[in-house]
Amino acid sequence: MLSSFVVAWRQLSYHRMKLAVASAGVLVAVMLMLVQLGIRQGAMDNSVAIARRVTADLVVVSPRTRTIFQSSQLPRRLLFRVGAHPEVDAIQEMYMGQARWRNPWELREHPIAVFGVDPRSPLINFRGLSELADELMLADRVVFDGLSRKSYGPVVAHLANHDFLETEMNLHRVRVIATINVGVSITGDGNVFMSPANFRRIFPQRPAGSVDLGLIRLKPGSDVEQVKRDLAPLLGAEATIITREELIDKEIAFVRESAPIDFIFGMGAAVGFFIGFVVVYQILYTEVTNHLPQFATLKAMGFSDNKLLQIVLSQGVILSVLGYVPGFVMALWVYEIATDAIQMPFSMTWQRALAVFSLTLVMCLLSAMIAIQKVRTVDPADVF
Amino acid sequence: MIISARNLNFAFGEGDLRKQILFDVSFDVAPGEVVLLTGPSGSGKTTLLTLIGGLRRTTEGEMTVLSRPMHHARKEDLVANRRDIGFIFQQHNLLEFLSAQKNVELMFQLHPEVPAGEARARSAEMLTKVGLGNRLDYHPSRLSGGQKQRVAIARALVTRPQLILADEPTAALDSHSGRDVVELLQSLARDRGCPILMVTHDNRVLDIADRVLSMEDGRLEESRGTEARGETETQ
Ligand SMILES: Nc1ncnc2c1ncn2[C@@H]1O[C@H](COP(=O)(O)OP(=O)(O)OP(=O)(O)O)[C@@H](O)[C@H]1O
Ligand SMILES: [Mg+2]
Repeated sequence: MLSSFVVAWRQLSYHRMKLAVASAGVLVAVMLMLVQLGIRQGAMDNSVAIARRVTADLVVVSPRTRTIFQSSQLPRRLLFRVGAHPEVDAIQEMYMGQARWRNPWELREHPIAVFGVDPRSPLINFRGLSELADELMLADRVVFDGLSRKSYGPVVAHLANHDFLETEMNLHRVRVIATINVGVSITGDGNVFMSPANFRRIFPQRPAGSVDLGLIRLKPGSDVEQVKRDLAPLLGAEATIITREELIDKEIAFVRESAPIDFIFGMGAAVGFFIGFVVVYQILYTEVTNHLPQFATLKAMGFSDNKLLQIVLSQGVILSVLGYVPGFVMALWVYEIATDAIQMPFSMTWQRALAVFSLTLVMCLLSAMIAIQKVRTVDPADVF
Repeated sequence: MIISARNLNFAFGEGDLRKQILFDVSFDVAPGEVVLLTGPSGSGKTTLLTLIGGLRRTTEGEMTVLSRPMHHARKEDLVANRRDIGFIFQQHNLLEFLSAQKNVELMFQLHPEVPAGEARARSAEMLTKVGLGNRLDYHPSRLSGGQKQRVAIARALVTRPQLILADEPTAALDSHSGRDVVELLQSLARDRGCPILMVTHDNRVLDIADRVLSMEDGRLEESRGTEARGETETQ
């Protein structure tokens, strides 16, 4: 039997130009949806990337801190109070700030994010940092993030041929001894890592005895929630203790609140959906309208509305696939360009690929369903 | 009887707009008969055909087609009935994006019990019978009017209908090819004993009929066919 699918394909492919236009419409829709949702995810992941790197079980933050990127400080002495708890294995202070980095080649300054944490066994995953610990304990030694943006100068290239690079941060002389790859976030263009002691030397005006975060590692097998409840009263009103997961949730909530990420990129994806819908509908509708006498004839000969609907729905499926495949490839290409251009990694996830394919199918099938309405109302008696 | 109609009345519109088209129409078509229906334009021939084909609902009177009662039939029954009827329209309305063979093969969607290979073979065979064996892969745009009408005939016959309803199938053709098409239709139907009811204005083809019915202002009268062969059979 000549299947509805074959009939659908024959009809679509009969006018090559129309087929190209319809596929292009779907392609644009697919690409827009994938890119918008990809950037949304990328921006979201990026803003919480630092929080995700935390390996501590519990984190002490100031109650006024909404995001660790703009943290309020808390008194360092509070951290000493929790050390007595038998389940606590290690406590670390962590500092974060923004310094002016002097690009030694252009002699211009750029803001850079600075992290001060014990390099020997940091409770945050800055891979490669602990290997450099011995040297980082010396005064004014820092490590540069190799994934920082270009504006800081060709630091990585320089260190490939030299032992170190000397420059200034906040007008304070520092020596960059190596680079590690961590990755920048949308809130900063580059990162520098150092010990807490060196951090304080770069930010001399910061009140002594105040830290940005307290990182707590518990002994293996501890009940994190229970320890959290035990420690909270010790900290009083000046600090809050939260779990690693709560920190991440907090960061996500902050990004959602402060930047309308969902709205902007969701809107972009919706526009893509709409474009695709309109183009596919337009093409299928004209196809149906142009063939109304033929469809009416088939109806007169005993074809049911559903049989004819099958043909048009098949066309929707065909267009989905024809637009999705190149749209997917192009989105991958855009991800690559975007990753290069803004040095923020975008990657395809199969969940997103699948979700966008489903959206594409829905888009095309919806168009088909609306386009076929005319055939339902046509009276086959009129073809005689 | 293939068709048996008793006291059919039919009107378009309702109330003040009501316009009665068919008045007290009764007739029969016996198995294997070729019956022509003639009459002036607007007399109601097409309307009668649409009632028989189940494209319009029979509201007054009684009609049985292929032993199914058409009066007050459900919509699904009407659609099912159409699958056993071969329709040939004045406009062939072939799908221009399908080849002649695919246009014919498409009809087997209504008969999914026929295997794909057989459907293809029967389509080719039927097109060969109508003289288009060497045009199987031609799209309608590359066929002449007469050839397209022959594809339409093949399409109507390929699923072996039990009745053929044709409405001026030759109107778009010159008299010579019109005659060819009608003769073709008649011989194919005769081979299989399939009855035909055909509306025509063309007096030159009346001789192929077993019987000729003529319609005037919605009333039917039997006029003698040039060769009124079927008369005895239908009584
Ligand atoms: N859908 C309709 N609604 C209202 N009136 C209709 C409709 N279709 C046909 N008529 C009327 O019914 C009458 C009979 O029409 P019909 O098409 O049956 O005539 P016909 O005998 O087939 O004519 P022709 O030889 O020109 O095809 C005409 O007066 C026509 O105006
Ligand atoms: Mg007519």
